[in-house]
Amino acid sequence: MPRLVEIRKSVMEADEEIARRLRNMLDRRGVLMLNLIGSPGSGKTTLLERSLIDPPFRSAVIEGDVETTRDLDRIKATGVPVVQINTHGGCHLEANLIERALERLPEDVDVIFIENVGNLVCPAEFYLGEDHKVAICSVAEGGDKPLKYPNLFHQASAVVLTKVDLKPYVPFDEVTFWGDVDKLNPKAARLEVSAIKGEGISKWIDLVGGWLCAKRERGS
Amino acid sequence: MVGWKMHEMSLVEALMDTLLEMQRRQGWSKVSRVTLKVGKLRQVVPEVMVFCFEAASKGTPVEGASLEIEEVPLASRCTRCGEEWSDSESLGLCPFCGSADVELIQGMELLLESVEVELDGAEIGRN
Repeated sequence: MPRLVEIRKSVMEADEEIARRLRNMLDRRGVLMLNLIGSPGSGKTTLLERSLIDPPFRSAVIEGDVETTRDLDRIKATGVPVVQINTHGGCHLEANLIERALERLPEDVDVIFIENVGNLVCPAEFYLGEDHKVAICSVAEGGDKPLKYPNLFHQASAVVLTKVDLKPYVPFDEVTFWGDVDKLNPKAARLEVSAIKGEGISKWIDLVGGWLCAKRERGS
Repeated sequence: MVGWKMHEMSLVEALMDTLLEMQRRQGWSKVSRVTLKVGKLRQVVPEVMVFCFEAASKGTPVEGASLEIEEVPLASRCTRCGEEWSDSESLGLCPFCGSADVELIQGMELLLESVEVELDGAEIGRN
């Protein structure tokens, strides 16, 4: 005889539980963890490289990539501790992967940057225990991305528009882009950067430093 | 080789883990129907999700079960003026009073609602 069993529980419960545990651990240590999410080629690694040059806090990086260690090698060259996670086809990182990566990073850091797999959909779905999600989008991708991927832009604490040095050369509709971010998430911090030219980088570092201070003030 | 994993496949893998864990613990011999509630903001294509579910459940006690997906529409509420609306373009800004004190009240669900199962005789009544 078939029987109907009522369940009503989150499908992601197991992973969400790990994420909550990680967050508690990082809260105790006063470590800020950021989850950087953007398409392939949006400039996540270049932004990171630039952010790791002499910042006013101790950083570490978790590199999520489908294949290869190319991004890992670039981050290693900055001298900052870095751990690679290859998802081998997986389109996002999950908390259980972050848990293992954290075991291989030194504990005495202030900020952990997670570079998620290049993709605007799945990475926004999985909570990793991070303090903030950061949406990264380049002017070359066009101004229509926020409305096409509302979940990410709605959840992000900051939206970073990259490659702004290319504005004169690509048809990027700024009014649409920031207007849509406004409707989806008026509270998000907004930044325009060119990691290559250095434009806007100090504002980005100030934002991260501000998040770290706010977290430590809350915790103390 | 492993190919690019589609969005829905990741969600189905999490669903299969949950189902098989419950199946082991509760002694179901077979699962014949699974009902899932999926929020609209999850951007799930039901047909793709069903296709992934059929592939992922092969060779398990869930094989052959039907997957029913109930889409939960978006709903936002303004905590200032109390209005409610369903629109993915204004998730953060109240279209009635312009306030940014807005909360998403539904649309992000990924809930295993119920399953129809057959029990092993010896296990009936156990939880």
